[in-house]
Amino acid sequence: MPVVKGRKTPNSSDREPFAVKLSWAIMWRMLHLERLKSAIEALSQQTQATSQQAAIELRQALHWLKTAPSATTLRENLPQETRPGQEIAIPPLDLPLESALQPENAPPRGTVIIGVDGSQIPPDRHALALYYVLQTGALIFRYNGQAPTPLQQAELHFLEHELYDEEGLLITGQLGMRRAIAEMTLATSLAEQVHAEGAPTPIMTLTDGPLLWPYSGRSNEERQSLLPTYFAAFDRLREVGGMPVGFTERPGGKALLELLWQSRLDENGQPRHEGERHPEAVDDELLMAHFLAPGERSVWLKRLSPMNEKHHEPAGHPIWFCYLNLGERDLPIIARIEAPQWAAKREEWSATLHAVLVHQAAILHGNPYILARAHELALVTHQDKAALESLLHRRLLEHGIITRTSEKARQKGFF
Amino acid sequence: MKENTPSIPIGNVLRADIRSFVIASRIPEPEVPTFGTFVRAPIQQGKAQLIGLVYDIRLQDDPFLRDLAATVVEGDSNYEEVIRDQREVRAVPVEISVVAIAYGDETGYHYGLPPQPPMILHRIHVCTPAEVHAITARPDFLRPLLENREVPADELITRALLRAAPLHGGSGTADAQDYLLAAGRYLARRLGREPLRLETILQQLQG
Repeated sequence: MPVVKGRKTPNSSDREPFAVKLSWAIMWRMLHLERLKSAIEALSQQTQATSQQAAIELRQALHWLKTAPSATTLRENLPQETRPGQEIAIPPLDLPLESALQPENAPPRGTVIIGVDGSQIPPDRHALALYYVLQTGALIFRYNGQAPTPLQQAELHFLEHELYDEEGLLITGQLGMRRAIAEMTLATSLAEQVHAEGAPTPIMTLTDGPLLWPYSGRSNEERQSLLPTYFAAFDRLREVGGMPVGFTERPGGKALLELLWQSRLDENGQPRHEGERHPEAVDDELLMAHFLAPGERSVWLKRLSPMNEKHHEPAGHPIWFCYLNLGERDLPIIARIEAPQWAAKREEWSATLHAVLVHQAAILHGNPYILARAHELALVTHQDKAALESLLHRRLLEHGIITRTSEKARQKGFF
Repeated sequence: MKENTPSIPIGNVLRADIRSFVIASRIPEPEVPTFGTFVRAPIQQGKAQLIGLVYDIRLQDDPFLRDLAATVVEGDSNYEEVIRDQREVRAVPVEISVVAIAYGDETGYHYGLPPQPPMILHRIHVCTPAEVHAITARPDFLRPLLENREVPADELITRALLRAAPLHGGSGTADAQDYLLAAGRYLARRLGREPLRLETILQQLQG
């Protein structure tokens, strides 16, 4: 227990002046910024150095992009092997890589886009009982002058096989996968509903994050249950004229840069031009931020990733992506937009998607309005969790079961 | 008019004291009650009903709405669906303030302050026309307003009387006029020492 100079320890007396108690309260709860000062300075210096290097590499990368070979040549000259973790993109269509595509003026009247998001209460050993909650929220936005339709769904899971994995460990990472499935399932059922109403195609469903399955695909649960369900949703969406779309702001990644770098190498894998080096500090997002004007998108690209090749492709749903600038002049906001090949290669569908995303993002400064609303509808707040725990507590009492949170959880509630 | 129209729930009690209370509501814009609406709230474990008048309506903002407010343009077709979403679906939080004027139990209505305020999170309803007719049968329901300096009492008196009058004989009828005349006489007695205030209220009633 720390000691205040010239005073007793704070919990040894209840007669200490208020000011001393207050200072203890502050000391206990504050982040010790003073101790982090040198680390903060080091971080700033490193960021500055990276930024300077990125500026140099960026000029080079922009030149590579503007002078890139044709899409056919790029596809023909892919490396036989890639480094571990390295992902490279290819342009699946024949549009020049340096194309920056403009949106149509406005989304066509009658177009429908469905925003879907999810949130969860993870299982907690310190809670009243062991369970988890998945909540999904959606907004059906019809471009017809009418108010959008909100939807919410919640699931409470408490069975042993739902809570523990094959090794008997409490699930953690699996929850994100199950949430992704819940989101896609809701998106599909809403697209079916909108299709039945006679909505024009494409009926776009927009989810927050990648559409390309962002997990390893190696667990039994993924192989046996989750991925088949995921791809079944894609199948059904395709049948009803749906277009699943993933939206990732600040996407990171260098798949396009790797392609550009590859275009600079000779048959021996060496740079053809002296002084050119593999870009380390710049990424696709930075490149696109300096290449795409507000509202413009890149050509469609396809990542040659193991997930795309081994899972999506055999299922008939390889994922394409493009970059889209949803920001304003001098304030670019780059998002990665993903869609299955069968939807993305339809020019009129891509054009509608482009116009809708630009419109949606203009409402909320770069973030699609429907995603913000879906997030709001899906969010499980601390108050929601407290209300659920209170109800659960009452029901358990009615069944004669007296239970309480762990002492650790109770004390954490003090702060 | 004494029809038994179902009352409309408008929200839950957020905070309360013996003279007034505040309701939190997320009802869509068309259903937000207006200034001077008669509402009732259960008190004393539901054995009695507090009767009050809406005297303030505050539309709360939130960060999401603040972000949108700088962008959307009313009348611009680009924002048509978004504005309708915010107004009709998302329904911004509304705080409705109510001043107590009476309470009712099995023996009838009693004018003045209630024995206790409504408890937190009790559901509040708009009074039916029949209830308003019964509450306003005597002008004594105005007394708590005349004594309350914390609400826009004069405007509230005018609005409550104009709302009640058609229920006592039909809109524009002689009976409704007689009702307002009786209320005017009551106010004249009560505001004998405040002629300017009386004049203002009476002018508003005529206007």
